[in-house]
Amino acid sequence: MVLLLIACLAGTGSIWKQGPPRPYKVEYPSYFGNRINIPEDNPLTEEGVRLGRMLFYETALSSGNRISCASCHKQELAFTDGLQFSIGVDGTPTPRNSMSLANLLWVRNFFWDGRAEGLEKQAETPLTNPHEMGQALAISAQKLQQSPIYPALFRDAFGSNVITDNKIVKALSQFERTLISSNSTYDQYLRGEYQPTASELNGITLFFDPGGAGCGHCHGGPKTFSELFHNNGLDSIPEDAGRKAITGQEYDNGRFRVATLRNIALTAPYMHDGRFKTLEEVADHYSDHIQASATLSPFLENRQKLTMQEKKDLVAFLHLLTDSTFITDKRFSNPFK
Amino acid sequence: MKVYLIALLACFSLHQASAQEASLSVTGEVTHPLQLTAAGLSKMKRTTVALKDRDGKEHKYTGVTIPEILDLAGVTTGKQLRGENLTKYMLVKCADGYEVLFSLAELDTSFTDRTAILADQLEGGPLPAGKGPFRLVVPGEKKPARSSFQVTEFIIRFAK
Repeated sequence: MVLLLIACLAGTGSIWKQGPPRPYKVEYPSYFGNRINIPEDNPLTEEGVRLGRMLFYETALSSGNRISCASCHKQELAFTDGLQFSIGVDGTPTPRNSMSLANLLWVRNFFWDGRAEGLEKQAETPLTNPHEMGQALAISAQKLQQSPIYPALFRDAFGSNVITDNKIVKALSQFERTLISSNSTYDQYLRGEYQPTASELNGITLFFDPGGAGCGHCHGGPKTFSELFHNNGLDSIPEDAGRKAITGQEYDNGRFRVATLRNIALTAPYMHDGRFKTLEEVADHYSDHIQASATLSPFLENRQKLTMQEKKDLVAFLHLLTDSTFITDKRFSNPFK
Repeated sequence: MKVYLIALLACFSLHQASAQEASLSVTGEVTHPLQLTAAGLSKMKRTTVALKDRDGKEHKYTGVTIPEILDLAGVTTGKQLRGENLTKYMLVKCADGYEVLFSLAELDTSFTDRTAILADQLEGGPLPAGKGPFRLVVPGEKKPARSSFQVTEFIIRFAK
């Protein structure tokens, strides 16, 4: 009854107050390519992105009103939380490491195991999982509907101030698609604005050259991301089946997403289970500790070991991928502060 | 006894759900969408081709030619591959997310003498772990980057 009254006072309907939402223009370097993913039924708009940003930082979307998406995806850590496993509303640690949210516009299947096709599907899980934000989307919609600010923001974004599950995940997805990191020191080098040190240059060569460390085989191109899932030799018998749990295929045992390396120096600890605390440990793993198994990526078999200097050079390159403007960009920051 | 039977049946169905048979699907601009299993592929006409692998050596791969599979799915091949059909392509998807693309004409025997196959055997035995059960084998290319491992899908589309 209260809800109905509020809805009436707020004036339901599909009339835009200030005209239809304005298209939001995403900008990124041409070397990222245009194989981006924006569903036809959820184009980016200024109003949708603005609303999505507020929802991203909105604790009312969690049971108990204590955490938001940003609790596990902090901007200063390139939208990770620095923890091996994140803690949800019930105090239970998540089974996997919180992933960085950068350049999601190019990602098609989300999570470490790629189980969610599209950001809209992805968003449902952390919002409703009892060990994460722990609140049904219908409850979130009800809570927002009763807020003095949200009905008007939903109307501006979607043409009606009736708040639904679907509009919540759509707005969140719109905001997350704008989280583009393309101004790292490496980007400045690609634009001819930065001269790398000898060590960094050697790191670049080692990374991308198939005859070097060959990291670029999977972390391909300047985005340092390809939509791939590999068993990267962490364990001979994987404790976590990874993608196999989704596909049911034995050949997917221990396979996980090949994550973006953008801002990697900010997103420790590393791997799906956060087992490595430093980039040096990661370099040691790929050089010296690959574990053989039936599903090990063929590209990681019989690898040449790296020297100490080569490992240092690789890590020097990885530090070039830090984008200080991304982690301080006000468009991505907490709007309630 | 009844309880045991129910538990047994439950276990069996769970097992059925979790262990899925690997297969190749052919979808998109097809008249007969296909889901080919290893058993299905073994009953089709077999062809052997040689491919120089990353080790620099030639190896013999056996399987079914791609035109054979595309014909079965009702893809426009041979005499039908003309006009706007020449703007069609085949997107190959693999289990690890790897994707490669061919224009249909690249694979068609009326355009090319090379024979690309979907292989399920290497030197008369099964494909090695990590590459099977199905590998696309495209002879005559300078590097084997399109001879993709663990192929799961052929998607036929018009270029737009």
